[in-house]
Amino acid sequence: MELLRTEDLRKYYAIKTGVFGKAKTLKALDGVSISVDPDRVFAVVGESGCGKSTLARLILRLSRPTAGRVFFKGNDILTINGRGLKDFRKSVQVVFQDPYASLNPRMTVFSILAEPLVIHGLARKKDLRGRVAELLETVGLKPEHMNRYPHEFSGGQRQRICIARALSLSPELIVADEPLSSLDVSIQAQILNLLGDLKREKRLSFVFISHDLNVVNYFADTVAVMYLGRIVEEAEAEQVFEDPRHPYTEMLLDAIPRVRVSSEKAVPKKRSTPAQPATEAPAQGCLFHPRCHRRTSLCTRETPELKDIGGRKVACLLY
Amino acid sequence: MAAGGKRPTTVVGESTLLKIKDLDILFRKKDRSDAAVSGLELDIRPGETFGLAGESGCGKSITALSIMGLLPDAARATGEILFRMPETGEVIDLLSLDEAALRSLRGKEIGMVFQEPMTSLNPVFTIGYQIAEVLTTHEGLSKRAATERAVELLRLVRIPSPGQRIKDYPHQLSGGMRQRVMIAMAVACNPSLLIADEPTTALDVTIQAEILNLLHDVKEERGMSVLLITHDLAIISENAERVAVMYAGRIVETAPVERLFQWPAHPYTLGLIQSLPVSREIKLKPIPGSVPAPDELPPGCKFSTRCTYRTTACDIEEPALRLIEEDHRVRCIRAEEIGRQV
Repeated sequence: MELLRTEDLRKYYAIKTGVFGKAKTLKALDGVSISVDPDRVFAVVGESGCGKSTLARLILRLSRPTAGRVFFKGNDILTINGRGLKDFRKSVQVVFQDPYASLNPRMTVFSILAEPLVIHGLARKKDLRGRVAELLETVGLKPEHMNRYPHEFSGGQRQRICIARALSLSPELIVADEPLSSLDVSIQAQILNLLGDLKREKRLSFVFISHDLNVVNYFADTVAVMYLGRIVEEAEAEQVFEDPRHPYTEMLLDAIPRVRVSSEKAVPKKRSTPAQPATEAPAQGCLFHPRCHRRTSLCTRETPELKDIGGRKVACLLY
Repeated sequence: MAAGGKRPTTVVGESTLLKIKDLDILFRKKDRSDAAVSGLELDIRPGETFGLAGESGCGKSITALSIMGLLPDAARATGEILFRMPETGEVIDLLSLDEAALRSLRGKEIGMVFQEPMTSLNPVFTIGYQIAEVLTTHEGLSKRAATERAVELLRLVRIPSPGQRIKDYPHQLSGGMRQRVMIAMAVACNPSLLIADEPTTALDVTIQAEILNLLHDVKEERGMSVLLITHDLAIISENAERVAVMYAGRIVETAPVERLFQWPAHPYTLGLIQSLPVSREIKLKPIPGSVPAPDELPPGCKFSTRCTYRTTACDIEEPALRLIEEDHRVRCIRAEEIGRQV
C-alpha cells in the first residue's frame, strides 16, 4: 500500500510589486501529484524556486495548500486533528538543510533527543538515558556526547543529531530537505552512507529534496524533476539519469560538473543554453519553452500535461 | 609602476606569473595565534587556470585574500608572494607593498570575483556606474568613454541588451546576471590574473555551467591566468589545468589535473575522490572523522588523525611536499604506495 499521496497540490502566494503595484500570483506549486511507496526513496530535484521545499512543507503540514490534498496511509492530513495529528507527527519526521538553525542552542543533546520520546510517551523516565544513548550510537555518535550542547559539535555531527531526533519516534517516512547541502564533501559522504544504512535497517521511506543530482543518483529510487512549480518528468532513478526524456532534465544532467578521469584536455562542455532567469513563468505555453532548445511553435501556445509514456511520466509536447 | 616594495630574493622564471613561497598566515587570538596557512608554495603560469581545492576552513580563501592584500587586521602574512608585472616584466613581492601600491594593482593587474555577487556589488549605484568607476580610477578614462566600455564589457559577459542593463541596480538582476557583472568588473582593466573564489557556489547548476563557460571564454580571449578556488572537485576537473589540494592550511598535493584525478597519491585527495557519488554501484568511502580545530592539530602529519594509511613515522615529523613525478608533489611519506589508478 502506498504510504504518501498528494493530489493536485497547489500553493499560490500573492506578491505585490512596489507600493502601488498590482498584486500578482506566484504559483510556487501548481498541481503536483506524487505517490511514495514504503521502503522507497522518492527524490525531488530542481533549481532554486522550483517549489521543491514548498512541496516538503505541505507534506509535513507546516503550511496549508491553496488547493489539493495530502494523504498519509489513506488519511487526509489536512483534516486530521487531536490523536490522529499526533500519530501523523510521529510517523513523519523531518531533517532540514541547516543543522545550525534546527537545533535549540540552549538544550543539551540529551534533552533534544529525549523530548520527542517524552511527548509521545514512548519511554519511561528511567529508560530515557538508555534510549538516547542507543539513538546516538545509531547515528555514529558517542553516548557520552549527550550532555553537550549543539555548539560543541561540527556541522556533520549536528546533522547526525538532527537525524537521531528524526529517528527517535521510529517514523515511517522522513522528509529530508537538502540534508547534505551545508556539509563538506567528505562529511556529505558519511551522512549519505548513514542515511543509506538506516533506510536498509529500518525500512524507512524518504522524500528526499535536493539540487545535487549526483547525490540523488546515488540514493534515490524514484526521481521527480520539478520546474517552476510543476513536475516535468518522473521516473525510476536509472531511467532519469541514463535516458532523460524532458529537455529540462537533459539540460540539468548536462550541466552537472563531473570528475574527468580520461586525459582529454580541459575544455568545458559547450552548452547552448540561453541566459534566461528561471523565476518568471511565461504567459502561456510550456513553462520551459523560453529556455528549451527543442521547442516548436506549438510549445509557445499549449501547456503539456504530465503523461504516462511507457512506465514513466513526462510533461513535454514532444511525447 | 613604482612598486615601492623590497626587491625579492627569489628568482622567478619567465614561465611564472605568480609565485607563492613559504607563505604563513597567522591569526592573532586573545591568548594564542592560530596558523590559517602554513608553508604554502605554489606557482601560476601565464594563461593557465589553476585550481585550488579543499573543504571549508582549509585556508584557500585566506590565501586568495593575502594575494590581494585584503587580509583582516587580525591576520599576518609572512613569506613571499611574487608577481610578475606584465608590461615591465619586473617581479614584485606583493606582501611588501604599501596600501597605495596595492590599490593601484587591485582591479588593474589582479581582478577578483567572490562567491556572493550581491554583497560584492554596491546596492545604491547602477551596475554601469560601478563598472565605469573601475575604468576611470585605473585607466583614467573620461566618464563617457568609461560608460561606453562598460556596455562593451556587459556584451563580453553575454548580458542581453547591455545598453539598457547598465542603468539597472544590482537588485534588479538575478544571481547569475550579478555574477556576470562581477566578472565584467574584474576583467575591465585586462588583468593578467583573475582570482575566482567559489564563483558559482551560490548559483543553480545550469547557471553555474554558463558562468564557468563564460569564465573559460573570457580567459581565452584575454589571455589571463585564473586562480579558481572551489570545494567542488568536479568543477576543478572540468575547468583547471593544474590543481593544488589543501588541508588544514597546507597544500597536501599538487599536480596537473588529469594526473591528480587518475593517480591521486595523498590519502586526503584519494578520500575526497572516493567521497564523491558517481554512480549507485560504487559505494562511497568517506574520510572518517572531521577536521580538527587549529589548536588541536596533531604533531607530525596534520592529516594523520583521519588517515587510514597512518604509521608511527607519521606522528613524528610533518612530511615535506615532495616531488614524486614530473610536476606532481605530495605531502605524504607513503605517496608511492598510495598513488594508484582510481
